[in-house]
Amino acid sequence: MIDAQNVSKLYNRSVYALRDLTLKIEKGDFVFLTGPSGAGKSTFLRLLLREETPNKGALRVAGRDLSRLTTRQVQAYRRGVGFVFQDFKLIPRMTVLENIAFVPKVLGAGSVPMRRRTFQVLKWVGLQHRMNAFPLELSGGEQQRVAIARALINDPVLVLADEPTGNLDPDLSLEIMNLFREINARGTTVVVATHDRELIRQVGRHTITLAHGRIVENE
Amino acid sequence: MRAFRYCVDEATASLWRGRGASLLAILTIAIALFVLSGFLVVSSNLERLIARWNDAAELSVYLADDISQEQRISVDQVLARNDAVVAAREYLSKADALRRFKRDFPDLATTADGLASNPFPASFEVRLRAAHSADDAPAKLAAQLRQTAGVVDVRYDRQWIERLSSVADLCRLMGYVLGGILVAAAVVTVTSVVRLALYGRKDEIKIMELVGAPIGYIRGPFVLEGTLQGGLGAGLALAALWSAVLVVRSREYQVVDGLADFSATAFLAPSLAALVVTGGMLVGCVGGFIAARTPR
Ligand SMILES: Nc1ncnc2c1ncn2[C@@H]1O[C@H](COP(=O)(O)OP(=O)(O)OP(=O)(O)O)[C@@H](O)[C@H]1O
Ligand SMILES: [Mg+2]
Repeated sequence: MIDAQNVSKLYNRSVYALRDLTLKIEKGDFVFLTGPSGAGKSTFLRLLLREETPNKGALRVAGRDLSRLTTRQVQAYRRGVGFVFQDFKLIPRMTVLENIAFVPKVLGAGSVPMRRRTFQVLKWVGLQHRMNAFPLELSGGEQQRVAIARALINDPVLVLADEPTGNLDPDLSLEIMNLFREINARGTTVVVATHDRELIRQVGRHTITLAHGRIVENE
Repeated sequence: MRAFRYCVDEATASLWRGRGASLLAILTIAIALFVLSGFLVVSSNLERLIARWNDAAELSVYLADDISQEQRISVDQVLARNDAVVAAREYLSKADALRRFKRDFPDLATTADGLASNPFPASFEVRLRAAHSADDAPAKLAAQLRQTAGVVDVRYDRQWIERLSSVADLCRLMGYVLGGILVAAAVVTVTSVVRLALYGRKDEIKIMELVGAPIGYIRGPFVLEGTLQGGLGAGLALAALWSAVLVVRSREYQVVDGLADFSATAFLAPSLAALVVTGGMLVGCVGGFIAARTPR
């Protein structure tokens, strides 16, 4: 699924965010990306979302070299990738329902299948009773579930999450992780960046540890 | 089609959400186009007037009261020889002149009757060929006539028309320059207003980009928002200009008969008005486009 070959990313001339990174993540894998602050976790996810491209090396996802995509191909690629951030990134002036339906709407989906699918994912994260609430009326855990529903609406083959539980207490964190496990159980590849070692211990999956942009552990 | 619907919905919603700023953009466009088309209206009306006067351009050759028969015939012969310039000539005796005055100014007829002697000179009223109304042949003829014995004065209004014509040109030029500057200012305003709307929605735009939304869905609403502002501004400008024309038309200051008839003040030609609206939309579109592409 993901194949990184000697990937390096520099933000400035001298600062390596990622250095000579080589790794493989299989289709259907559930991977934790961990390591201290500044290790390059977010950078790697940004490369996978094709927000950035590597300065050196090749990063392939599902056989596609992410450095060699046209604008249209980037759009097509991103439609198959779901993302979740630590700060949820919900749109405050839209209701829960609108936040989720926003994605198929801006991708030009018809309104009937769009509605059906929106209800489906909303139900799946257990928030159908809150669909007319606004994000700021929800708890952190609920907001993150809305964000997860939004990430799932396109049936992505790959879900990326950057510190999805960073703003949540341990119980809620585990609850959110269970959602990711369920997503993964249906065959979707999941990559979660977190420095919450306790959470990793509880969930116990394939873990890649980074430090200073290099892999220090891959188990 | 769905994309277009989406853009229209988003653009109108955004216009409404930022109605204060939108109004500002619409007003700047309206002012720019009002000034531009206002000058065009003034200059085109002046030109119409000039054209009418040109058609009616006449040369009046006033004769001395004590002119001899031979002198009068020689003046007539000068006009006859210049038939390349002269279309028609008519002799108006002193009595004819008085009669004409009484006809044209009935209010003053009794005053004229009270005069001891007829103060109006005899004259040749000369109608010029239209082809020559623009060159200097009539002026040369006028100069020649002034040298002819028995002629006291030659009145030829060319200079006046020329001066007016350069006023019309200046008017148009000023319209272009001022209008151009204001249009540039309008583009800047639309750009910043649209950019403001864009900043207000940068999270939304970020998400659109990350989920792989097509460029049209991301930028379209902003370009359309600018275009709508431009169209509304142009409409406002035309409405204001139209009311101004109506006000001028209703005014009673009709200077001497047929000289300048304000009630006939013309508005912009429909094609020009359409051009103003299109121009306004283009201005807004450019502003929206600039705003939509810069912060990326
Ligand atoms: N936009 C940027 N411009 C310049 N340097 C950056 C940028 N983003 C990240 N960096 C640098 O790249 C390195 C890796 O950053 P990154 O955000 O990937 O770390 P991280 O592992 O996600 O850290 P954290 O756990 O704090 O989120 C850091 O040294 C950081 O300062
Ligand atoms: Mg990070």
